[in-house]
Amino acid sequence: MINRRNFLTTVAIGSASAAALAACGQPAPSQTGSADNPVTINYTWWGNDDRAERTRKAIALFEEKNKDIKVNGNFTDFPGYWQKRATEAAGGGLPDVMQWDLSYLRDYGQRNQLLDLSTVKIDTSAFDKSLLPSGQIRGKTYGIPTSTNAFAVYYDPAKLASLGIAEPDGSWTYKEFNTFLAEVGAKGNGALFGSTDYTSVWWMFNIWLRQNNIEAFTEDGKLGFGKDDLKKWWNLTADLRGTPALVSEERVTQLAPKSPFGSNATATEVTWDNYMAGYLADSGAKALKVVPVPSDDPDNLGLFLKPSMLMVASAKTKNKDAAARFIDFMVNDPEVGQIFKTSRGVPASKTQRDGTTFEGADKLVVDYEKSIEQYLKDAPEPPIVGFGTLEASFKRVASDLNYGKLTIDGAADAWFKEAEDLIKQNA
Amino acid sequence: MTQSPTLSRRSAQSDSPLPRKSRQRGADARAGYTFLLPWLLGFIALTVGPMISSLYLSFTNYNLFEPPKWIGLDNYTTLFQDERFLQSVGVTVSYVVFGTPLKLAAALAVAMLLNSKRRGQGFYRSAFYAPSLIGASVSIAIVWKAMFGDAGPVDQGLSIFGINLGGWVGNPAMTMPMFILLTVWQFGAPMVIFLAGLKQIPADLYEAASMDGAGPVRKFFNITWPMLSPVIFFNLLMETIHAFQIFNSAYIISNGEGGPAGSTLFYTLYLYLRGFSDFRMGYASAMAWLLLIVVGILTLIIFRTSKSWVHYSGDTK
Repeated sequence: MINRRNFLTTVAIGSASAAALAACGQPAPSQTGSADNPVTINYTWWGNDDRAERTRKAIALFEEKNKDIKVNGNFTDFPGYWQKRATEAAGGGLPDVMQWDLSYLRDYGQRNQLLDLSTVKIDTSAFDKSLLPSGQIRGKTYGIPTSTNAFAVYYDPAKLASLGIAEPDGSWTYKEFNTFLAEVGAKGNGALFGSTDYTSVWWMFNIWLRQNNIEAFTEDGKLGFGKDDLKKWWNLTADLRGTPALVSEERVTQLAPKSPFGSNATATEVTWDNYMAGYLADSGAKALKVVPVPSDDPDNLGLFLKPSMLMVASAKTKNKDAAARFIDFMVNDPEVGQIFKTSRGVPASKTQRDGTTFEGADKLVVDYEKSIEQYLKDAPEPPIVGFGTLEASFKRVASDLNYGKLTIDGAADAWFKEAEDLIKQNA
Repeated sequence: MTQSPTLSRRSAQSDSPLPRKSRQRGADARAGYTFLLPWLLGFIALTVGPMISSLYLSFTNYNLFEPPKWIGLDNYTTLFQDERFLQSVGVTVSYVVFGTPLKLAAALAVAMLLNSKRRGQGFYRSAFYAPSLIGASVSIAIVWKAMFGDAGPVDQGLSIFGINLGGWVGNPAMTMPMFILLTVWQFGAPMVIFLAGLKQIPADLYEAASMDGAGPVRKFFNITWPMLSPVIFFNLLMETIHAFQIFNSAYIISNGEGGPAGSTLFYTLYLYLRGFSDFRMGYASAMAWLLLIVVGILTLIIFRTSKSWVHYSGDTK
């Protein structure tokens, strides 16, 4: 006779061995779902409420068209996003599909955390051939760009008009750009500054290096520029620091996480062109315009299209096919383009781009990227391992410089010390 | 059940006059351990285990993705060449040195005020205690940031008196006073303990002192302080340890960066950034162990000095 205890033990042993047997079976093939019994994939992204709302719409559309797949969405802000991924990766539990940033592609791709997307079915025929390499490392495709962005100088025409300053046309040298900032600062009378110190932005430095035909990183993962280049770069705005041409670092810190431009403290800002929607919402301005960055060589603006975001999948995902279908949908489907417009950047796939109607501010961004087409060079390869840390420390050291805590020489020494330490660490 | 035969056999073998009692004690102990078991398992799995593995990791180079590489004491030695590490030590020490005594002074002062009987006492006690309940929360850090920000209430309030400091959040010279104010404001927990201590001091001591013509200052130093010294000692110890662990408010107010100009780069914040932003878990573990050792040594020092100023009732001194 079976008494209660024996019965429970039998059940427990039975189910445990069933689970164990299942675990030692052949490597689980990619699971497939059906309309009645869909597979669930996890998708995570960074962003704000606006992007969350758009993503929710895109997911709903995907589920409607793919009844056999359910998508579980989840988002955080940008800094928290990477800390979360780091913990998940350490525990072996990255979400199936993730929105990704170029800065972190190598960190995870090179360390076998991401799925080689060339092994699954994703249609990349509508992508510009010069863009795809930015998602590839050593011949493997880890990321598919959703969209592109390019560097630009934003300005607020209404603010310039009120100061009686003519709108710039974007063909300017660094000297002319500085003069322009100084003029805004002088006429702004303490209420409006020229801009944030553009030399504290890594990507602008990267563009300046390209304008001078210097590579930021060498192929073997070392720095391609020297301390003197960096000093020269930070010297560009040496005369402007502490004047109304540049908003003080104190204000920048006070206003964070909003940018000084979005908070109406400056008339211009040098940054990625897909921030348009965010700036319009933050500043309440009627219209904002974008023009190319300054360059001392009018034929070489150093500009490139960067994948503003990539879609990647976890190397450990159990639902490869479902993940691939979701990525394919997010990067290629014209209706997804209609949902996101340029808020992720200009859609990277031609199918998606052509299927989207751009109006108003979105059209300005698309037109800007068209207008600089002739100057564009190849997108940079995914930067070195640990690039996210390098970029953050670039910003921090430049901020110390603006606070007057470091001299230009001291700042260059400080950044190089960290960079060399990091490169050694990851070698 | 299976246990009873064993027990009866043991009692049969024993000739001692106390078999019943020891049997009883053994059963008690078993019951005790059984009830302790869930906690014990949790303690071993969630505290001791991670501590041991973190000790191991502190001797390795571990980036979360690849297996840890043994590098001996390298993490510990490079710490002292790391300028940001030294900066974080400086920031934390100044916070502990200035913040803790001020907080304790505020707690003691308010506890003494609340010790006398007056109307609405319960309300005042809760009102002063409330900040320390919510003080460590994320929302308070956000409120604090807004209050001390550009054109925030503090800035505007001070400008009424002709003091124009601007926002404190972006000014490296003002962030530390701001954090010290934040911790002083959360004096509720030590205050409640002080209050309990004050209640223990016999009222007749004060009456006798008054008869002898002692003023309030004399009474404080000759009665309150020595009688309260064990409680002061306890509070000093707890608040010092607590102050070393400041993290939440620093993370929120500085956007997780320790700015402006590194002025809020607290030890734990730098530790966190090293571990989770720079993927240097070995380094972060070394920092954690160093913190543990330093806090341990400080605690020991406070214990040692306590002999000369802490008085327990029943002391013959």
